[in-house]
Amino acid sequence: MKRLLTGLTMALATVAMTGAASAADTYPERPIGVAVSYGAGGATDFQARIVTMVAGNEDLLGQPIYIINKPGAGGRVGWNWLATQADNDGYTMGAYNVPHFIAQSIKGGVKYSAESFEPIANWGEDPAVVVVGKDSEFDSMEDLVAFAKENPGKTTTSGAGLFVGHHIAALQIEKACECKLAYIPTKGGGAAAMKAVIAGDVLAGINNLSDAYRAREAGNVKILGVADVKRNEEFLSDVPTLQEAGLDVDNSSVNYRGLMVPKGTDPAVIKVLAEKVPAMFENSRVAKRMKAGGSPMNVMNREEVQKMWAEREEFLKELLSGL
Amino acid sequence: MTSTRLQHTIPALIVLAIAAVVAWLSFTEEPSDAFLFPRVISVFFLGLALWNAYRAVSGLARVGGGIDGNTAINVLPGLLVALGFVFLAATSLGFYAAGALAFFTIYTIYDPVPLSSLNGWVRRIAVTLVFMGVIYALFALLLQVQTPRGMFF
Amino acid sequence: MEFLGYFGGVFEPVAMMLLLGGTVGGLILGATPGLSPTMAVALLIPFTFQLSPAHGLILLGAAYTSTVAGGAVSAILLKIPGAPANIATALDGHEMAKQGEGARALHLSFLASGIGGVIGVLLLIFLTPVLAQWALAFGPSHLFWMAILGVTLIGSLDSKSFVKGLLSGCIGLWLSTIGYDDMQGVPRFVFADALTGGINIIAALIGLFAIPQVMEMFAKGRRDLAIEQVAVTKHKLSDSIGEIGRSGRALSIGTVIGSIIGLVPGVGGQIAGLVAYDQTRKLSPHKAKFGTGHPEGVIAAESANNAMVGPSLVPLLTLSIPGSPTAAVLLGGLLIHGIFPGGDLFERHPEVIWTFINSMLLGQILMVVFGIWIAASAAKIARAPVPIMAAAVLILAVFGSYSVQQSMGDVYVMLLLGIGMYALEKFGFSAAPLVLGLILGPIAEANFIQGSMIANAMDGPWTYFFGGPLNLLLVALVVGSILYSFLSNRAENAALAKAVEVGE
Repeated sequence: MKRLLTGLTMALATVAMTGAASAADTYPERPIGVAVSYGAGGATDFQARIVTMVAGNEDLLGQPIYIINKPGAGGRVGWNWLATQADNDGYTMGAYNVPHFIAQSIKGGVKYSAESFEPIANWGEDPAVVVVGKDSEFDSMEDLVAFAKENPGKTTTSGAGLFVGHHIAALQIEKACECKLAYIPTKGGGAAAMKAVIAGDVLAGINNLSDAYRAREAGNVKILGVADVKRNEEFLSDVPTLQEAGLDVDNSSVNYRGLMVPKGTDPAVIKVLAEKVPAMFENSRVAKRMKAGGSPMNVMNREEVQKMWAEREEFLKELLSGL
Repeated sequence: MTSTRLQHTIPALIVLAIAAVVAWLSFTEEPSDAFLFPRVISVFFLGLALWNAYRAVSGLARVGGGIDGNTAINVLPGLLVALGFVFLAATSLGFYAAGALAFFTIYTIYDPVPLSSLNGWVRRIAVTLVFMGVIYALFALLLQVQTPRGMFF
Repeated sequence: MEFLGYFGGVFEPVAMMLLLGGTVGGLILGATPGLSPTMAVALLIPFTFQLSPAHGLILLGAAYTSTVAGGAVSAILLKIPGAPANIATALDGHEMAKQGEGARALHLSFLASGIGGVIGVLLLIFLTPVLAQWALAFGPSHLFWMAILGVTLIGSLDSKSFVKGLLSGCIGLWLSTIGYDDMQGVPRFVFADALTGGINIIAALIGLFAIPQVMEMFAKGRRDLAIEQVAVTKHKLSDSIGEIGRSGRALSIGTVIGSIIGLVPGVGGQIAGLVAYDQTRKLSPHKAKFGTGHPEGVIAAESANNAMVGPSLVPLLTLSIPGSPTAAVLLGGLLIHGIFPGGDLFERHPEVIWTFINSMLLGQILMVVFGIWIAASAAKIARAPVPIMAAAVLILAVFGSYSVQQSMGDVYVMLLLGIGMYALEKFGFSAAPLVLGLILGPIAEANFIQGSMIANAMDGPWTYFFGGPLNLLLVALVVGSILYSFLSNRAENAALAKAVEVGE
């Protein structure tokens, strides 16, 4: 019995050592987890499940990707976990939402910043849009801004939380129109914020383009403007940008979604991921499902994402410094 | 002071202490907006804890039998195994190895079959292996949960 | 009656296979500790990628129905509620199982689930447009009052002592504030890294109910247990059907409360079972029997939490607003097939949506059949020797709480809460009100803060929180509920005092 145990221990030790030596060559050897900082069923979770569904293909990662939901406090819980508690062995990735996590790290109170993570690739780009209920008196951004100017602080506007893309868009609108809104953060993400608009709990709302497009298809809302530098030709070609409506709001609130790994992950592993993951996002089956669900895509590689993060960080520092 | 009265007084005072700390933190931590709701709760919490402590001290609290020495002695070994399993073994040995060890230890500690019986040992090992097999099939194979690996698995 | 025309789709061979697979799989997943219906449905979504929209939805519909009922299995047999919906089931169901009546408890639970569930789906079929308006009527102020109404149940729920019941509730409310504040992202009461994410409700449920149970078994020591082994009574199905027939009150209270509360977005699903349990108890002539293994407790709780399934989908299907986490996951299942829910869903994709609803209807019936089929053998678990049960429940609790979000922190919290609860229970505190506080705390807080922000931008808090008939109705219910608990507690105390005097 004793000899058996010794033999077993030695065998295990050998396996462990050879495993360590060639980790990057054989990576990945087992399924990879992706921590999503929002609950199951949210837009980020839903898209993450779609874009990772072909990971197991032999020409891609060759191992399936599974989703771990770590929701709470607008994403802070999940990103804190990824920055401080997750293993940086390449088997735990995280889904990022920009500008959310960068804005939160600038605001403080969290244990991460843009430097805590290494971007891998970007899959989606979801601009914020301004929506009102279908029976609302507002038919355009001009109507809404005029009302906000006459009634400072009374234009209740729902969004998915504080220091997320929606909030950034609201801050930018306030700055551009020199008026005061009443931004109402909801618990439960974009869906709860949309419900508040449809039910008339609030006068207006800022929401994801994908969710707003669906709500408009269902006949529940009017979409007044897109917080982006160009119109969205694929889904909402008839909706003007906020710049067209005379508000100086750029694309800084656009919600970029992609994958990242915690700092300290083996550069060789990052190289493998940075090469394979964009190809995974570009898979035709992924694109088909994403389009069916009304989720706009924009695949960016690691270098492009690094540049985008740096730009956003600089802009947000300036915008939030006044608060 | 009777023993039941003392038995009830100790937990009542512990709960009161917790309530006091909660109230203290709620009213001193910043930013105060974020602590509005905890403040409301802590007022009720502290009030009720005071009332409960008064009832315990004056012997009005009768519900609950308390913990006697015999119970404590019986619970302690199992409790220590549970704590050791969760806080030490699960991450260092690996989830399944630690689970099997904890299952086997608890079964052995509380099994009325005498330790001298060979059959008893065989049965305990067999049940442990079968049970952990089912757990492995359910969590690792069916649900694909990635558990901490540690030294073994 | 349009739905009848689409029944054919459910009876195709492939559809039938998926329905069976979804039901059996759902029961297993639902019975697995730590796996809530939401996570179970999320796990099945990838399987639907390969299927046609109608087939994918058959799988999800059947799974959703049966996971909710499957949670009752572990709640009854192991006292590990699979989800908040099953808490009330565990209260009396597990007592029944301990007395060897596990088969009866499971029969009743599945029959009640089936009846409640079918009525719920029928409501979804016939009353959807009306119900959608009702779901929208609940704004932040109303949800706040709903949560407070739930909190007022605390004093009367499963507690032998009024003050300790309320105090347990306060502990639960406080625990719910631990972790990052959802609105501002400020850390509150974070004493350890494991707490930054707050206390996960599923992990807490497992700890608060299962761990004290394990410790009770430890407390029995190394006794020769052959003497006190429970005789597991065989139970005839016809008797259970007869019993369900005689339990009209519990069944109708459960079904009505489940379907009404199930509609309220964000609140309903979690508390429907507890509210129905509490109301049934209050209106029952055998109040004292609740909590000791009274079948009516199981019937009320299970009919309520399955009656909720159908109506909880109303806001999703008509307004594209998911009213519950599970509905949000189902929305994903619809979207990947390019099906956008909304008012005209029934015109645009009738074949898909009616097949989905029909599969839920048939799924309810299949679930009852399978549930009853496994009941007799499952109930034999109660005969397992105490040391094996203690070890098995502990291991299941650890694996279950870990698998919720693959976090060791949740396991630590689960075990420590459980040990604390064991000690508290010994001194007359109870887990049910504590859990209710834990569930309702965040709902009350978020809606209070959101409501206050809206109110400040509009006409002020007074008009906002007390204006309109729905607010006033809810406030009246809150006041009524407090008065009821207070008066009945006084009456009980008086009766108790009298009994003590006579006894001495």
